[in-house]
Amino acid sequence: MQNKFRGVMQSPVTPLKDDFSLDLPTFERLLDFHVRAGAPAISWPHHKGESLNLTIPERKLFAEAAVKVVNGRVPVTIHVSALAVEDTMALARHAQDIGADGILAITPYFWTPTLEGIEAYFVRLCTSIDLPVLSYNSPSYLNGVEITGDLMAHLIETLPNFVGVKEASFNSEKFLEISRAALALRPNFAMLTGVEFLLPSVPLGGVGSYSAAGSICPNLCTELFDSCTSGEWARARELQFKMTRLWHLFKDQYPSSLKGGMVIMGRPVGPTRAPLPTATPERQAYIRAQLEDLGVIASEPHGW
Amino acid sequence: MMPFQPGLVHTPLTPFRAGVGRIDFDLYGRMLEFHLRHGAQALAVPMHAGESVSLTDDERRALIKLAVESAGKRAPVIAHVSDSGTGIAAALARAAQEAGAAAIVTTTPYYWTPPPSMVLQHFVEIGSAVDIPFFVLNAPEDMAGSKISADLALKLMEKRPNFAGVVDSSLDWQFMIELMTDAARVRPNFALLAGGELLVSAAAIGARGLFSPLAVIAPTLMRRLFDLCAAQKLFEARILQEDAAALRQIVKPGGVAALKAAARVMGRDCGIPRSPLLPLDAAAEKTLTAAIGQLTALADEPRGW
Repeated sequence: MQNKFRGVMQSPVTPLKDDFSLDLPTFERLLDFHVRAGAPAISWPHHKGESLNLTIPERKLFAEAAVKVVNGRVPVTIHVSALAVEDTMALARHAQDIGADGILAITPYFWTPTLEGIEAYFVRLCTSIDLPVLSYNSPSYLNGVEITGDLMAHLIETLPNFVGVKEASFNSEKFLEISRAALALRPNFAMLTGVEFLLPSVPLGGVGSYSAAGSICPNLCTELFDSCTSGEWARARELQFKMTRLWHLFKDQYPSSLKGGMVIMGRPVGPTRAPLPTATPERQAYIRAQLEDLGVIASEPHGW
Repeated sequence: MMPFQPGLVHTPLTPFRAGVGRIDFDLYGRMLEFHLRHGAQALAVPMHAGESVSLTDDERRALIKLAVESAGKRAPVIAHVSDSGTGIAAALARAAQEAGAAAIVTTTPYYWTPPPSMVLQHFVEIGSAVDIPFFVLNAPEDMAGSKISADLALKLMEKRPNFAGVVDSSLDWQFMIELMTDAARVRPNFALLAGGELLVSAAAIGARGLFSPLAVIAPTLMRRLFDLCAAQKLFEARILQEDAAALRQIVKPGGVAALKAAARVMGRDCGIPRSPLLPLDAAAEKTLTAAIGQLTALADEPRGW
């Protein structure tokens, strides 16, 4: 059976009003935009959705909205990573209660847990719910904390609902050590990457990614994925290089710059919560020039 | 500057005589023949796998000279000239060119971990010492985290017309993509080479070459992997890539000592490493021998020299 988590999956930003409170109508509009623009799945709230700057009640409220608005058109996963593991557990149970299709969870923040600690965490999480669980590996952001190939294999053997990983090391060896361990045991294990790094991951068994720039360039996301899965490598290189230029544009003050870019694309979603800055008019002008140079404004949808 | 795409580059080990620890030049000649007969399109000597850092300047020059003579017209030789001092590396680069090397390769200066502006100057001076193409080796794991950025490479392209490419051991997708995006703009024939046998992702990004220390163990596997990647048959290459990765993981913890032990398992004894490296202890060698024996992917590999 093919895993349902594949393709360039969209993780919406979190729209805020000018007073930094949640903007539910715009969130609903954004979810609908992503689904109509071809997202094969929705996942919220990633770091890009300012997950760590939202309260747990806010996260639950918008998680419910996501499931309701998407309404089964594509799978919805909830990102449950939180500073306190107890909050993660509560968010995971909540995701199951509201009818989400799965959850995503990073290795625990801050404590730099040992491999045994990471294992205990995922065992506890996966056995607390019946939903599919996607893990999230991000050693460069988490002080080197990572799920090794051996640990991944052990978790797969132990936990039937441990179905995939967002492998965001962006490193050939780390990705391959996990993919060759995981796919040997569970051929439909979802090997996903972050930030649309599809070109280097699809030939190694990758089946998709989460998206950084999908609210700006949904068409590019789809074209890049299709060119990689059909093995049109020259075309895929061209598109991946373009996508990576967008990543360099947005990773500075991410996701503030992304929200700034959305203004230019006719999809304003408000400011960004502190400590992240909000894109200034000057920054927006710079982003506009870059988007024009890349041909994004001409080739991607404007407005909702 | 003519484009120079070296293709599949073998990086031979350096054999030392038991006891005295001097280079065994006779055996080295046989090793080079082995590499040339088993798929090497170029040789890079002496790389870190060849214990360059443990060799005297005279020994490095002697190995480069011997490699050029042995290879003759059959394959180009890339001379590895990395050193701490810019002047020492530049002098070795000049000697390599005089000896007939087709290109040189250098990494960041040992020990000093200088800021990017000093690294750039280091590379500019080494590159200026020769007319032949020169490559930069990006190897942060070997170099205590010292790495090069795409921005530095771009500046070097602007300053040195003979800067021909990067040999990447960082395995960093963002770096490789950024590098090739810049290169496509200013130097379209710029070469990206994978600095180890994790080739598929690099080949997807545009790598057309491979520096292979594992070729002494599994030259057939490396040649097949390289050929599929060169033909951009990347899905087909995945199984061979996984085999190569499995071999790499067996050898990686023991470094050069493990490479030499693994070569011995394949009937290609070239002794033990030179001080300060220690040979594997008996238990580690036994574990490695067993692990190599279980790799079915090595069934087609030659035994002996």
